[in-house]
Order: sequence, then structure tokens, then C-alpha cells
Amino acid sequence: MPIFEPHIHMFSRITDDYERLALAGVRAVLEPAFWLGQPRTSVGTFVDYFETLIGWERFRAQQFGIHHFCTMGLNPREANDDRVNRDVMAILPRYCEKDSCLGVGEIGLDDQTAAEERFFAEQLDLARRHGLPVLVHTPHRDKKRGFERCIAIVRDSGFPMERVLLDHGNEETIKLTRDLGCWSGFSIYPHTKMDPARMTSIVLEYGVERMVVNSAADWGVSDPLMVPRTVVKLEQAGIARERIEQLVWRNPIDFFAQSGRLQAAMLLQPARANLRETFDGNSVLRGQDPDRA
Amino acid sequence: MTGLLDDLATRLGPPALAAAQALLAEVAADRDRLPVVFPGLPRRIGRDALPGGRAPLGPGEVDLGAFRRCDLAAAWLLHAVAATPDERLDLYAHGDIEERAMLLRTLPLLPLDPVVVPLFAEVQRTNVLLHFEAALCDSDLFARTADAGLLDQTAANRLLLKLAFLDLPLRRVLAAERHANVELSRMLIDLATEREAAGRAVWRDTCRLLGRAPCPGAAARLLGGLEHGDDGVRLAAAEGLLALARADLRPFAAERLPREPRAEVRAALQRLLG
Repeated sequence: MPIFEPHIHMFSRITDDYERLALAGVRAVLEPAFWLGQPRTSVGTFVDYFETLIGWERFRAQQFGIHHFCTMGLNPREANDDRVNRDVMAILPRYCEKDSCLGVGEIGLDDQTAAEERFFAEQLDLARRHGLPVLVHTPHRDKKRGFERCIAIVRDSGFPMERVLLDHGNEETIKLTRDLGCWSGFSIYPHTKMDPARMTSIVLEYGVERMVVNSAADWGVSDPLMVPRTVVKLEQAGIARERIEQLVWRNPIDFFAQSGRLQAAMLLQPARANLRETFDGNSVLRGQDPDRA
Repeated sequence: MTGLLDDLATRLGPPALAAAQALLAEVAADRDRLPVVFPGLPRRIGRDALPGGRAPLGPGEVDLGAFRRCDLAAAWLLHAVAATPDERLDLYAHGDIEERAMLLRTLPLLPLDPVVVPLFAEVQRTNVLLHFEAALCDSDLFARTADAGLLDQTAANRLLLKLAFLDLPLRRVLAAERHANVELSRMLIDLATEREAAGRAVWRDTCRLLGRAPCPGAAARLLGGLEHGDDGVRLAAAEGLLALARADLRPFAAERLPREPRAEVRAALQRLLG
């Protein structure tokens, strides 16, 4: 079964992870722009990061047959940082027009500050101007209230709910979001957030409409194979293959296709892997024969 | 300026031109929109290849089949807004792979500008085949840039050596052969020797350039090429000998002619024998 992993920070992962993802059936990944584990102190580091997302990281994924997409945005953590927040907003429009950018994100709330709310609202407007859907990071602390606040901000802005993916959900938040018309994301982690067994229970109770699952794998203890692992759990629970495929393939494609830059037909084949090619003079190979690697 | 814009507009066709004109209006109203609208050109204008083969367009000659409609639209837009060299370099520096290729494809369509030189250096340094092809191939931009003195011989030779290194056909760099020189021939022979020592194929067009600017060892390479198992190498060797025009080497061509199985190689040998 092909898998579209709709939230993974490959910037933080090793090359072996791409090979494991490809072997597990992951044909496409979406990498939301986020923070980098520690605060950045100037806009230049955002420029370099955004260009890695449309450049080297995309190339690296393609070398393993994986299509790489991204979303661009000022993450809520650094929305609080006056050293960078305004300057990042100023450079975002050009990156929102990149071909592989399928949305604005991760935006949303983290500590639920006034600055986070302001930049969240501004980026909903940015998404509207570029015709893009939004990927919303929701707080890990005081989550239910954070979800409610995110929903209120989206409503106040008049941004269409069907173009909103509220991520990092759980058993409590699905009760808030299921009837809103927005999409619900679940980040499956080894120890926190959500696990495959709990996700199975959610699917059994609520179905798979407007839902996506992701690993949100990043710099911390996380597992890029969490979506394939969840597929196995769902199969073992007797959930129809077609519904599982909707959850891990058709749903993320349908959501991000709202950007107008993604069609399912683009993903029928794995990304073209040509190990002879380089990106900016760099290759993923380290001395191997490109025709045999 | 108007002539070039009109020429590009005609080839763009009405729907693409209308879309490009809307983008021009956006940039005219706010210059900061140029880097925002540029990445979306392929989506808005289309990536379809242009019909037709070699043709004069703008200041030089191009192979139209290698260009996409969005490449023409990009050239039209940059020309219409009189994009500065800094703006063009910025578009390249912050572009993704496709945008960079598109920016490079505009170079042969626009009036020759020194901005070509750092971009040639970039495509040589980065080793991205798509970008090298976009900058150097399917137009006479390289030849015009060298003719104008914007590229010194060392820089020009490095680019043609890279062409050989990447095994791209010489004919795709229109009029490149007129920049053959003895130093380039020496570099190509060294590359050929290195490739042979490693058991790898030698650039087929080596002999074409050697014949035009022979260095020590060139004649032996050309004669050896006549007996090569690869048809393309034999043809290049015959054409190289034709360019070399040394009467004392004609007996070797005469000896080869009755044994040569390929018609186009035979034709070249016959021309050589006069």
C-alpha cells in the first residue's frame, strides 16, 4: 500500500531513514517548516532552511524514490522571537510560490501567547493570498484549550475550514474537530502524543473521513516508520484495506491537492532516482558506484 | 527592445501572453513581486516544449525544441521589467532546481549581459546536468559570450572541458567549434588518456575539436579514431581530419575508406580525399 507521510522533518533525519521509508512503502513525504531544536537569531538562517526544503532535501528524497513536498511558515515557537519574526514574514511570500510548497505551516499555537495568535492570523491571510491550505501545529500543553483557540482564530479570519489541517490531535480533540469541516491530523509517537493502538481505536470509533496520520519524526525520540506501523495495527484490527489506504494515501493527497500544485497522477510512480546526478555539486553517495548503489 | 518583446510574445501565443501580461502588471505595481511571481511561471504559463528546431530568436540562434513555454515567458517578463543583473542573480540564487533552469534558459533569449559570466561559473561549479544544459546547450550563447570577450580563453576552455566531462554532444553548443584552441586540445587529450586508463569511454567529440586546433598527439589520436569500434568516434575522427586538412594524412583515410561500413563516415572520408 502506498503511503503519503504528511508531516515529517527529514532535515533532522539520516539518509538511512529515507531508505527505510521507501522500503516500507512511503512514496511521498511532506516536510513542514518548523524550528530547528534551538532558536535562530537571524532571518538568514531561515532563508537557508527554506532553501534546503526546496533544494537539497528534495533531491535527497528523490534519490530514494520518494517525492518530497513542504509547507512554509513561521512556526509558533519562533513567532515569539522578535529577532526574527517580522523578517521571516517578509521573506515568506517568495517561498510560498515554490512548486513543491503545498501549504503554509507549521503555523498555530504553542505557548498560546498573543504574538503566536497574531502571526497565526497573519499567516492565514498569507495562505489565502497564495491559494494554499494550512497545516496547524497545536499546543502540546493545555491542548484542548489550544485547539479551541486555534479553531476560534480560524473562524475569526474567515479562512475556509476545509483548507485547515489541525495536527497533533488525540482522543479529546477529535470530539472538537470532527464536525467542523476541517481535517484532523494525528502524530503517532513511540511514547507520547498518540500511538498505533490508540489510533486504531479512534479509527474504529470515528472512521477515516478528513483524517491523516503522521510520524512528525524530528530531532527528538521519534520513529519515521510510525505510519507504516500504524497501517499494520489497523490491518490487524480488521479495518478494510480501502479505508486504511484512504487514511494514509488518498486523504493527505486530497488535502494538499487543494494547493493546486499536487495531483495524484504525479505520484503514480516513485520519484526518479538518478544517483549519477548531484545537487549543487553534492551527492548522497560516499564513494559508491552510482550504477550499483 | 520592442522587437524582442514582440518576437517572444508571438512565440508565446495569446493565452500564455495574457497570463504573462497579468504578472507583468503585478510586478510593475510592486517591484518586490518579481521574486514572488517568478517561481509560479511554469504553473501559470505551462511547461510544454516549444515546436520547431533551430531558429534565430532574440540576439542569437537557439534550438527551440529545448525550450519550454514558461522559459520564453520568463525571458519576456524579465525583459519587459528590465530586470537588473542583481535581480536575475537573486532569482537564480534563491530558486529551486526548476526556477534556476528557467532563469538560465532566459540567458540566450535576452541581450548579452555580463551576468552570464557568474552564472556560467555557477553551472560549472555545481555540476547539475540540467543547469549546465540550460546555460550552455541548445543556443549560441557560449560562442557569443566568448566572441564578445566576456569569457577569457581559460574560462571558455573550462566550460568546454566540462561539456566533455559530462559527455554532452558538442553540436548542442551552437558554434562552439570556432573556439577550438591548442590549449583546449591538450586538455581534451589529457582527459581522454585519463578515461582510457580507467577503462572508461572517451568523449566522442574529442576528435572534432582536435582537428581544428591540433596539439602534440592530435594527429595520432585522429588516425587512431578512424579504426575505433564506435561509429560516432570514427565520424568525429574523419571530420577532425577534414578540419586538419593535412595532405600527408590522406593515405590513412584512403586505406580506411573501403573497409568503413557506415555511410556517413564514408561520406566524410570521401570529402577528405577530395
